[in-house]
Amino acid sequence: MSNQLKAFARADGRWGLRSHVLILPLHSALSATARKIADESDGAVAVSHDWSGEVDGDFDRIIKTFSGFAANPNNYATVFITIGTPGELLIIDLAKKLGLNKAEILNVAELGSMGKIAGAGLKLANSLLKEAKAQSRVSAPWSALTLGQECGGSDALSGITANPALGVASDRLVELGSASVLGETTEILGAEHLLAARAITPEIGAQIIETVARYERSINYEGIDMRGAQPSRGNIEGGLTTLEEKSLGAAKKAGSAQFSGVLEYADQVPKSGLYFMDTPGHDTEQLTGFAAAGINIVVFTTGRGTPTGSAIMPTIKVATNTTMATAIPDLIDLNAGTIADGVKTLSEVGGELFDLILEVANGKLTKAERGLHHEFSLSRMYNTVIK
Amino acid sequence: MLRILMLNNRKILILNEIDNIAVCLVDMDIGEVIRQDALNLTIQNRIPRGHKVATKAISKDEGIIKYGERMGHATSDIQIGEHVHTHNVLGDRLSTEQVK
Repeated sequence: MSNQLKAFARADGRWGLRSHVLILPLHSALSATARKIADESDGAVAVSHDWSGEVDGDFDRIIKTFSGFAANPNNYATVFITIGTPGELLIIDLAKKLGLNKAEILNVAELGSMGKIAGAGLKLANSLLKEAKAQSRVSAPWSALTLGQECGGSDALSGITANPALGVASDRLVELGSASVLGETTEILGAEHLLAARAITPEIGAQIIETVARYERSINYEGIDMRGAQPSRGNIEGGLTTLEEKSLGAAKKAGSAQFSGVLEYADQVPKSGLYFMDTPGHDTEQLTGFAAAGINIVVFTTGRGTPTGSAIMPTIKVATNTTMATAIPDLIDLNAGTIADGVKTLSEVGGELFDLILEVANGKLTKAERGLHHEFSLSRMYNTVIK
Repeated sequence: MLRILMLNNRKILILNEIDNIAVCLVDMDIGEVIRQDALNLTIQNRIPRGHKVATKAISKDEGIIKYGERMGHATSDIQIGEHVHTHNVLGDRLSTEQVK
């Protein structure tokens, strides 16, 4: 197998590992039309969501999420479907500033009806898809690949098989010059001291500690009992007892490389190095934030077989145990359970995962892509208040 | 390393030498005797694969150590060979004990 990464060069210097045409509705009520356009087209993708333009405490976070998602380098083009509010224009403007390759806008008010939007959208999507398919991959540096690390439905083997295997692959990528991102603040609580000790400066270490402390203060302030949610019922059935235990296993995804920085939710990821991003433990919110941050490929380790994927980021599913990998073969791309079975070593599976990341980066479709797992979820910090 | 452990028919996995628990690699039945290295313990409860077994006697309030790190504390005395889980362990952080 060739060891060369091949990607789509974007005009602003970024690299795409896919060449999607994304149909992005900027109002919840336009979601159905966006889906209809994507479904009837020759391969465009769309997401649905529940944002209706409300301006509240989460406005900036939502604008940042949509603009970053639209501008992800895996998108050859994004077709925005709008009703014409200032918030929508802000999203489109920001997406262009972030380097969105090609932006098209379909406005309901201008076109006059949903039927006309669907008709014009389908024609536009197919014409953009023709252009996107005419693009070809060229040899790319390792900094073209930005990996997101995710774990969902963790079990007791997560920290022993799939997560450390991802750590091996992540370490190799970081050494070669890629960027790799660990997220899920909830799931490093109890392990943050180990990660902070690996920061390249004491300031970055202190930031990792403070990010978790900030989260912990907010939970304690609300008087929330985390037991029952973290670890989840599924985690507990799988043998995980405490949040700290889950975190100690989850942190193994980040391997042993040094941390080059801490990012806020959906911040653009620098080209190279290992980073920690402050994201929620909710899989879909975290994946959406990763996509908005410009991450172009994800490895998702799972003990229970979480099906979640992304419309625009190829998401590689790695099973922590052979029982689940065998039960749900149409979800799992690689079985790391072989480590616990004594069939393969950690470094062997880590090497297989590295090879698979390269194959998928170069165009091999993941099970989540083939299964059209296009989940999307906005991350909110506040109650929605219409102002 | 793990492969060697399994080829020797190991039933439990000790992740760090300072740990006071081990991870069961197979479902365990009551009375099963585990002899690995210096360990000689008798399983006290049915323990599902992936769950933890005490490899040392743990007193109430003592830390539970996994991967060489503290993952919580015992809420009751735990005997060697006993299942270590939510019925006798609580996390140190973000639990109702701390929320005043």
